Amino acid sequence: MDSAGSNRYTDQELIDQLRQSGTDKRRSEEQLFNRYVYFIREGMTKHALSEDESFNAYSDTILAALDNINKEHFEARASIKTYLYQIFHNKCVDLLRKRTTNKNIVHRAEMISDRLMQLSDSARSVVQTLIDKADWNRLREKLNKLEEKCRQILMFWGDNYSDKEIASFLQYKTADVVKTSRLRCLERLRKLYITE
Amino acid sequence: MDNLDYIENYFTDKPGPELTREFEERIKSDPGFAEEVAFYMTAREVSKEASGIAKKQRFKETYQKNRVVRYGHVRKLVNYIAAAAVLSGIIFGTYIFFRPVSPQELAGQYEKEHLQTLAVTMSGRSDSLQAGLSLYNDGKYSEALSQFENILRTDTSNFSAREYAGISALRLKEYDRALSYFEQMETHKGLYSNYAQLYEALTLMKRNLPGDAERAKQILQKIASEDLEGKEFAQEWLRKM
Repeated sequence: MDSAGSNRYTDQELIDQLRQSGTDKRRSEEQLFNRYVYFIREGMTKHALSEDESFNAYSDTILAALDNINKEHFEARASIKTYLYQIFHNKCVDLLRKRTTNKNIVHRAEMISDRLMQLSDSARSVVQTLIDKADWNRLREKLNKLEEKCRQILMFWGDNYSDKEIASFLQYKTADVVKTSRLRCLERLRKLYITE
Repeated sequence: MDNLDYIENYFTDKPGPELTREFEERIKSDPGFAEEVAFYMTAREVSKEASGIAKKQRFKETYQKNRVVRYGHVRKLVNYIAAAAVLSGIIFGTYIFFRPVSPQELAGQYEKEHLQTLAVTMSGRSDSLQAGLSLYNDGKYSEALSQFENILRTDTSNFSAREYAGISALRLKEYDRALSYFEQMETHKGLYSNYAQLYEALTLMKRNLPGDAERAKQILQKIASEDLEGKEFAQEWLRKM
């Protein structure tokens, strides 16, 4: 996908495509990535980052933006370019800070605040403590041990795809079949996490 | 599984006050249930993270591939300058710079630039797959191929193993075997990235039997016109062939 191709679309068209479902959405993600890929060079020249560091900052920028667009947190008050550049700039500065300090610890529960916020303070505090205690590395390792199809279902689920979309991607008959399979995969993951 | 279903329904449907009260009471009074709620949230985040890593890997592949194409443009500029010199009298130079490149040469160049080593850093890959990739990167293509084929025996839906088996067979010049794997890759739908058709064209260009170049061209034209993965290469090769 060339950057010229991605420039054919206006910001709004690109956002609409990113909020669509199916393979068009994934293609649009790549278009968004390609559209401002020159930021990577700017990270190298303006922030003196290595190409790898700048690439990572830019990829993380795109992932953060996709997440916000998907959750409709992006309100299009600024152009996509301005919005991305702000995130990218912050990520570059963070990287530079990390070089000198070691401030890399994030309260894990903050990452899943949307769902946690649905709970009252007292229930949230119980769950938050358990999330902080969880062995995330072990869970990552066990996820990798699941068979490919299970891992794919869970990754699509993690990426907020609906069961209907997953059914069409992975050729399941219905969304209900996906839901049953997905919960089974989740249960298998839990068993691996607890027992092995 | 019943609890996971119940937990999921709570977070996806908008629960009423009665269900909310019941759900939260259970969190506070039943430690096992609270742990399942925490697991559900953490598992979703870890799955999201794995999906992000896969996307990042895809972005990296696109970035690296486009970088080569961009450098290709610079090379083209050099060619124009050389052509100016040619115009001033060096006829031999004209031949060198403007002769069409054979499909085999183009395929060889791609192999050298992109298939010499395969990334082993993806955390979303199983240990056995990583072992196969390490063998491949050590130039032990035959052992790597056996490793990927072993994975496929137990996990027939493993797309990555199939892709790497095809690439290993290609490196071993076992073109028919490589083609068979790449054709199977095409049946995997809905993946983030599927270079099956580009690899098929590449294998045909490399094999170079009568009719292969023509078939490769047809596939490349399809990739270019349908905006499929590897479009940049398809366009580049079609221009040069």
